Amino acid sequence: MDIPILSLLIVVPLIGAIATLFMGGEKQKYAKVVAGVFSAITLVLALLVLFADDMGALAESYAWIQTSAIAISFTLAVDGLSVLMVFLTALLVLLVVILSAEEEDRPNYFHALLLAMEVGLMGVYMAADYFLFYVMWEVTLIPMYFMISWYGGPRRHYAAIKFFIYTHVASLVMLIGIFAMAFEAAQITGTGVVDFAFSVINPAIAGASEMFQVLVFALLFFGFAVKMPVVPFHTWLPDAHTEAPTGGSVLLAGVMLKMGSYGIIRICLEALPLGAEYWQWVVIAIALLSIVYGAYGCIAQTDLKKMVAFSSISHMGMVMLGIGCLSEAGVTFAIFQMFAHGLITAILFMVCGMTGHKVGTREIPLLGGLAGRMPMYALFMMIGFMASLGLPGLVGFWGEFPVIFAFYEFVIANDALWLILFCLLSLMLTAGYYLWAMQRTLFGPETTKIDLTHAHDVSKTEGIALAVLVVLVAFFGVWPDAALSFIEPYVSALANMGVVI
Amino acid sequence: MFIEYTWLVPLVPMICFLLIGLIGRKTPEKGGYFAIAGALISFVIAALISYEYLTGDTYPNPVVESIQWFVIPGSTDFVINLGYYVDGLTCLMMLFASFISTLIFIYSIGYMGDQGERKNRYYAEVSLFLTGMLGLVVSSNFLEMFIFWEVMGLCSYLLIGFWSFRHPEGDAASANAASAAKKAFLVTRLGDVCLMAGLFILLGEFHSLDYSTLFDPANIAAVDSDMLTLAMFLIFGGVIGKSAQFPLHDWLPDAMAGPTTVSSLIHAATMVKAGVYLVARGYPLFIQNAEVMLFVGVIGGVTAFIAATMALNNMNIKKVLAYSTISQLGYMILALGAGGYLVALGMGMEGAEGAALITAGSAGMVAGCFHMMNHAFFKALLFMCSGSVIHAVGTEDMREMGGLGKHMKITSLTMLIGSLSIAGFPFFSGFWSKDLVLEIAMEAGHDGTVWFTVMWILAIITAFMTAFYMFRMWFMTFMGEEGHATQHCHGESPKTMTFPLIVLAVLAFGSGFLILFGLDAMVSFTVTPDAFIVGGGEAGGFHHFEHIFTSPYTYLTIVLALVGIGIAYLMYAKKTMNPGAFNKDGESWLYKALTKRWWFPDLYNQISWKLGYGVARGVNFIDRQIVDGTVNGLSGAVVGGGDALSKVQSGHVQDYSSIVLLGISVISVLFIVIAKVMGGI
Repeated sequence: MDIPILSLLIVVPLIGAIATLFMGGEKQKYAKVVAGVFSAITLVLALLVLFADDMGALAESYAWIQTSAIAISFTLAVDGLSVLMVFLTALLVLLVVILSAEEEDRPNYFHALLLAMEVGLMGVYMAADYFLFYVMWEVTLIPMYFMISWYGGPRRHYAAIKFFIYTHVASLVMLIGIFAMAFEAAQITGTGVVDFAFSVINPAIAGASEMFQVLVFALLFFGFAVKMPVVPFHTWLPDAHTEAPTGGSVLLAGVMLKMGSYGIIRICLEALPLGAEYWQWVVIAIALLSIVYGAYGCIAQTDLKKMVAFSSISHMGMVMLGIGCLSEAGVTFAIFQMFAHGLITAILFMVCGMTGHKVGTREIPLLGGLAGRMPMYALFMMIGFMASLGLPGLVGFWGEFPVIFAFYEFVIANDALWLILFCLLSLMLTAGYYLWAMQRTLFGPETTKIDLTHAHDVSKTEGIALAVLVVLVAFFGVWPDAALSFIEPYVSALANMGVVI
Repeated sequence: MFIEYTWLVPLVPMICFLLIGLIGRKTPEKGGYFAIAGALISFVIAALISYEYLTGDTYPNPVVESIQWFVIPGSTDFVINLGYYVDGLTCLMMLFASFISTLIFIYSIGYMGDQGERKNRYYAEVSLFLTGMLGLVVSSNFLEMFIFWEVMGLCSYLLIGFWSFRHPEGDAASANAASAAKKAFLVTRLGDVCLMAGLFILLGEFHSLDYSTLFDPANIAAVDSDMLTLAMFLIFGGVIGKSAQFPLHDWLPDAMAGPTTVSSLIHAATMVKAGVYLVARGYPLFIQNAEVMLFVGVIGGVTAFIAATMALNNMNIKKVLAYSTISQLGYMILALGAGGYLVALGMGMEGAEGAALITAGSAGMVAGCFHMMNHAFFKALLFMCSGSVIHAVGTEDMREMGGLGKHMKITSLTMLIGSLSIAGFPFFSGFWSKDLVLEIAMEAGHDGTVWFTVMWILAIITAFMTAFYMFRMWFMTFMGEEGHATQHCHGESPKTMTFPLIVLAVLAFGSGFLILFGLDAMVSFTVTPDAFIVGGGEAGGFHHFEHIFTSPYTYLTIVLALVGIGIAYLMYAKKTMNPGAFNKDGESWLYKALTKRWWFPDLYNQISWKLGYGVARGVNFIDRQIVDGTVNGLSGAVVGGGDALSKVQSGHVQDYSSIVLLGISVISVLFIVIAKVMGGI
C-alpha cells in the first residue's frame, strides 16, 4: 500500500493535538469538533489496518538517529497482538471525545491532552524499535499527568504526582533493561553498532546467557508490572482513578494499563523466553495475589470509581495469569482478556465517573434507589457490571473462562490443583462486590442523604458512547472468534518460536 | 424437515426480547403481545419438531447438528461448538417450558396490567428468560448449556428484583426485593462456580464439551475416572445451586419477592428444573460412579424432607409454595440419584444380574422426568392461583385471608385440583409420578444401600407433610371465617387470568395419564455397550397402572396423604383440633427452628459477612496502612521529614524530580551490584 497508514495513525492525532492546543479564547468551543474529526479519522485508519489483507506489509521503517555507534529507527509494525490495541485506542479516544462533549473547563487543553495521549499509545502499540517504544511510553505519561492534575478531583495533585513517580521510576528501570539488551545484542552480533530495532535485538538476545535473560526479564517485567498494575505496586492506580476526570479514567484503564501487559508479551516473552521460564512461578504468584487481593479490595471500597479501579487490578491479574501459564491457550486468552477488559472497563468508568456529575457524589453509602430516577444510567451500569463479572454471552466471559481453563491445564501438569481455588474464589468475590454495589446504588429505597432534585439521566451524547461499547461487548461475547482470529496466528507464531507451549 | 430449524426455538424469544427492548419503550402496552407471540411460536415449532422426531424413523437418536464456534489452542486444540441436540428429553422439556410460558404470559396481561411503563421491562426480561430456558434445553454441549444457564440466572436476578426500586408497597419492600435478588444470584453463583470447575475438568479430560463426545462409552473409558468423579461432584454443585437443593436452598423462598408470575414461571415451572435437567442430561457421566449417585440421591432426599418441614408453619402463601417447590425438586433429584445408583451398580457387574439392575435403575430417569413435567403443570397452576388470590386481596399473609372460596370460585376450584395433585391424591398427576419416585427409592434401598431406605422413609414422611401443608394452605385461604383482607376482595380475577388456570388445572389433573401413552418411552434410559440412549425405549403403558395398584406401598402413601388432608381439615377448616396444642402456641423449639428456617439465613449471613466483608476490611487496612504507608513513608524519608505527604500534595513536579533521580541512582547501583554478584553481563 502506498499510503503510510501506520505513520498516519501517529501523525493524525498529533496534528489534532497541536490544532486543539492553539484553539484558545472564543474558539474553545470548537475544540471538541476538531478533536472529534481527528479522532474519527484515526479510527477509520485503525479500521483500515484491522481489515487489511496483509498486516505485515504495512510495516514502515525510517532512519532516525544513525551514527557509527548507535542506530535508532522509526519503525512501526502491526500484528495480531497490537492491532486489537490500536483499534481499542482509536475507538476509546473517539468515544471519550463524544462523552466529554459537555466539558466546559478549558476544552481545548483537554482535547489536546487526549489526542497527545493517543499519539503515545499508538506509538507504544506499533513501535518495532526499543528506543521508539521507550520514547512513546514516556509520551503517554505526560498528558496523563496533566489530565489528572488539571481536570481531577480535590486530591488531584497528590494523585498526579503519585502516578507520575510510580510509573516514571518503573519506566526508568525498564530503560535500564532496554539498554542492557541493546548493548548485549551489539556485543553478540559484533557489529559494534548499538541498534535498537526489534528485528536486530530479538534474534541476538536469543543467544544470550540464561543469567542475562533472567536479570533483564526482571527489570523489564518490573517496569511493565507497575503499569498493569500488580499487587504490591498498585497503590497509584486507585488514587489516580479516584481523582482523574471521567475521560482520563476511561483511557487510563481502557488502554494505558494494557501497555504493561502488552510490553510483557511483546518484549519479555518474545525476546527473553528463558527469563519467562525462570520467573514463571513468580509471575503466577503475583497474578493470583492480584486477582484475589484486588477482588477483596473492591468489597471494602465505598467510592464507586475506586471500586472499579480495584476491579481492574483483579482483572489485569487475570491477564497476567494467562501469560504466566506460558501456554498457547493462556496467552491467546490473556490477549483476549486485555481487549475485553478494555471494552468493559470503559463502560464501567464512564458510568461510575458520571455518577459524580449526575448525582453529586460517588460514595456508595450515600446512594440508593437510583434506578427509579435514572433508568438508562441503571441499565448501562448493570450491563457493565454483568459483563465485568463474566456473564456468559458477553465479552468478559471469554477473557475469564478460557484463561482459568489454561491455568487449570497448567496446574494439572504441575500437580498443584489447589491453586485453582484462588481463581474460583475470585469468581465468587467478583459477583459479590458488583451485586452488592448495585444493590446499594441502584436498588432499594431512594436515598434521602443527598439531594436528588438535580439528578439527571444519561445524556444523548453519553448514551451514544455507551451504546457503542455495549454493542461491541455483546458482539464479541456472542462471536469471540471475531477477535480470536487476529490473536491466534500471532500466538501460534509464538508457539513456533518455542516461547509458549 | 422441522428438526433442522431447532435453533429457531430459542431464537424466536430472543428476537422478541430485542424487539421489546428496542422499540417497546414507545408502546409499553404491546410488549405483552410480542412476548406471547414469541412463546407461542416457539411452542408450535417445538411441537412440530417433537411430532416429527417422535413419529418418524428417519432420524437418528439423538439428532445433533453443530458448527464450530471457536477454538482454544493447545497441543491438541479444544474445539468449542455451537449447535442443537434433540432427543426425547429435549422434546419433553421444550414442549412444557414453551407451553407453560405461553400460558403465564397470557396470565401476565391481567396480572401485570396496572404496572404502566414497567410492563415493557417485564416482558423483555421474561422473553430473554425464555430464550435462556429453551436454549439450555436444545444446546449440544456443556458450555453452550452453561451460557444459557447463566442467562436464566441473570433474568431470575432481574425479575426477583423487579420491584427493587419504587416498590408499590414502600421502601421496606424495595429493600427486601433488592436483597433477595442479590441473594439469589450469589447463592446460585456459588453453585455455578463449582459447575464451571467441573467443566474445566471435563474439557481437560475429553478435549471437548460436546454431549455426543462426552456420552460415548469409549471416550469415557479412556479418561481418568477419579477426575471424572470429581468433575461430576462439582457439576452437581451447580445443580444444588440452581435447583435450590440443600444446603443452597435458602435463596428460593426469598425469591418470592418477585412478581407471582415470575415465581410461577422461573421459580417453579422452568428455571429451577434446569438442575434436574442437567442431571438427566448428564446421566451417562453421572452413572459412572455409584458414590456420586448416592450423594445425589441423599441430597435430594434430605432436601425434600427439610423443605417440607419449613412449609409446615409458614403463614405466607407464596413461601409455602416455594418450600413445596424445593421439596418436590428434592423428589426429582432423589429419583434420579436412586435410579442412577442402581445403574451404576449394574454397570459394575457382569451378566444377567447387572442387566437387571440397569433395567431397574433406568426407571429412576423416567420417574424424575415424569415428576418434573407433572410438577411444572401443577406448581405453575398453584402459583398462578396464589397470584390470583394476591391480586384480589392485596396481601400474601394467609391469616388475613380465609373464606375466599365464595368470592373466587374458579381460583379456589383450580387451586384445589393443584393441591390434590401435589398431595398425591389418587389419579391426579402428582400421584403417579410421586409413586414412581418412592418406588425407585425403595428399590435402591432394597438392591443397593440402606441409605436409600432412609431416604425412602424421609420421602414417605415428606409425602404426608406435603398433603398436610398444602391443605392447610387451601383451607386457610378459601374456607373458614372471612379474614379482614377478604372483605376488600375484588372478586374473581379477569378472564386472561382464569383461562390459563383452567387449562393448567386440566393438565394438573390429567398429565399423569400421559405415561399410559408412551411418555416413559420418550425419556427412557438404555445402556448398551457402545452407547447411552435417551428415549426410544419400550413403553410400559398399562403395565404401570397394574404395577401401582398391586403394590402395598401405594396404599400406604394414599393413606398418609389422606391423613395429612384430614388433619389439615380438622385444624383449619373445622377447627376442632388446635394447632397450638402441638407447638405450645409457637413456643416450642421446633416451631421456632422452623420459623427461623433452621437458621440457614443466619448461617449464610455470617459466612458471607466474615469471609467477604471481614477479610475485605483487613485487606483494605493492609492496603492503606502498610502497602501505601510504605510508599508514602519511603518518599517521606527520601525528601526528609514527616511532612512529605503534604509536600507531595503541593504538586510541583520540580520538587520531586529529586525523588526520581535518587530513585534511579539507588536502583542503578542495586542493579550493578546484583549484576556483579551474579557474574552476568
